[in-house]
Amino acid sequence: MLLTFLDWLQNGLGKGKGDDAQSWSQALLGSLNFWNLLEGTHLLMLMLFAGTIMLVDLRLLGVAFKNTRVSVISNKVLPLTVAGFVLMVITGLGLFFAKPVPYYHNLWFRLKLVFLAVAMINIVIFHYKVQRDQAAWDSAVATPAKAKLSAVASLASWVLVILMGRLIAYNFVECGKPQADWINAVQACETSEHGAQSLDHQIIIKGLDGKIKFQGKSQ
Amino acid sequence: MKFSIFFPHLRPWIQSLDKFWPGSMVKPNFAYWEVLHILSLVMLGGCAILLALRLIGYGLTEEKPSDLYRATRPWLLTGVIGIVVTGILIGTANAERLYDSSAFLVKMLSLLSGIVLTYGALRPIALADGKVTTPALIGGVVGLLIAAYGFWVFFTGGLITPGLFHVLTAAVLIVAFITQGRLRLVYLVGVALMLLALWSATHVFIKAGDMAHSDLANEVLSWILVVWVAGCAIAQGLMGRAHSGEGTLFAKVVAYAVILVWVAGGAAGRWIAFA
Repeated sequence: MLLTFLDWLQNGLGKGKGDDAQSWSQALLGSLNFWNLLEGTHLLMLMLFAGTIMLVDLRLLGVAFKNTRVSVISNKVLPLTVAGFVLMVITGLGLFFAKPVPYYHNLWFRLKLVFLAVAMINIVIFHYKVQRDQAAWDSAVATPAKAKLSAVASLASWVLVILMGRLIAYNFVECGKPQADWINAVQACETSEHGAQSLDHQIIIKGLDGKIKFQGKSQ
Repeated sequence: MKFSIFFPHLRPWIQSLDKFWPGSMVKPNFAYWEVLHILSLVMLGGCAILLALRLIGYGLTEEKPSDLYRATRPWLLTGVIGIVVTGILIGTANAERLYDSSAFLVKMLSLLSGIVLTYGALRPIALADGKVTTPALIGGVVGLLIAAYGFWVFFTGGLITPGLFHVLTAAVLIVAFITQGRLRLVYLVGVALMLLALWSATHVFIKAGDMAHSDLANEVLSWILVVWVAGCAIAQGLMGRAHSGEGTLFAKVVAYAVILVWVAGGAAGRWIAFA
């Protein structure tokens, strides 16, 4: 269902008539500079978004801005962080739109979404639980354990999001390569263009309808 | 313009770099070293942005610039050292590509101007709470001249020139942050109209594939956007409420330049892969 939608997004949406017609997704991917600009902006927004959120986390850990109240740091830095995040999401959606099916079958992209979800949950917990009694420790250099824990979770999850995001560009575990069954399963390789190839070179390729299109040994 | 033009006799040595330590160690793990490079840029970017915006009069205005500099100093230094060390390491694993890349020359000029502007100008200005001392003035002028040369190489670099849009985007964002009230609204509407004009020119009025007219439209509208952004930044400087510790005009120019050169360095780094 999801894969059918993504396939339509990549190959169907906006496609005109004729053999050379491109979908909007294909046009974006094949654009002269636009995809590059999206990707570059997505990466550079890390300086604004992750750079500022890391400094807030370091304050919560009590290792930076020790003489500044936590509320001052978060109130004054947060608008920058939010702006960076919004632009990262917009450019990220654009990049995803350019090749949704390959991203669907990409282990690193899937892990990136998992760590992104962890980071989001941590923000919600910080906002509704940790910050509830912030007035009591706002000026303290040593923040309570729950604030430190939240800061560590934030730093770790964003570093992992960045790591996974960078690994997307590498084809270490690309579908179609001979690899462990669990990797093929996690990436849903059987429905990918090149199928799932096990370590003993057995290949299975399934269509969008789930029916087997090819099964056999690699040449 | 690229390093291979300035130092053509170095090619055999450049070609051998990935076969010996540390290039041979980094090459199989290139992706992980690249992530450390990005994390260093993130750390450096966060500190430079907060410090520079403070001198422009935005952000942590409750803090004196000197206190803010002392608070960010170890993290800023960690970022700069991280960028240089990981940059050298990944450079040895990828040396020939960098040697033949105009974007890499821009990156090196941005790195040099970033270090000179950050430590030769922004640091003494912040420690003097916005006042520009003579050494800071010299550091600032030298850094701005190197930055200007880097931007010129970027602008005349052919296939890498679109990467300058990242720097323009950063400038648009900085001014969006620092403008206030009605000026911010007017500014943002102006930016939106110019982007719409740029899109219309290149997608509606100019035929697909007509690169001569498309490039001209991009260039003209980009320059108009540059003038608009700079004009609104100046207007805000003249109209805005000054915070204590806010820098003088030269200090603000240095502060803008610090953010833009570090962004230019990151952008050029990305365009090494694209062009």
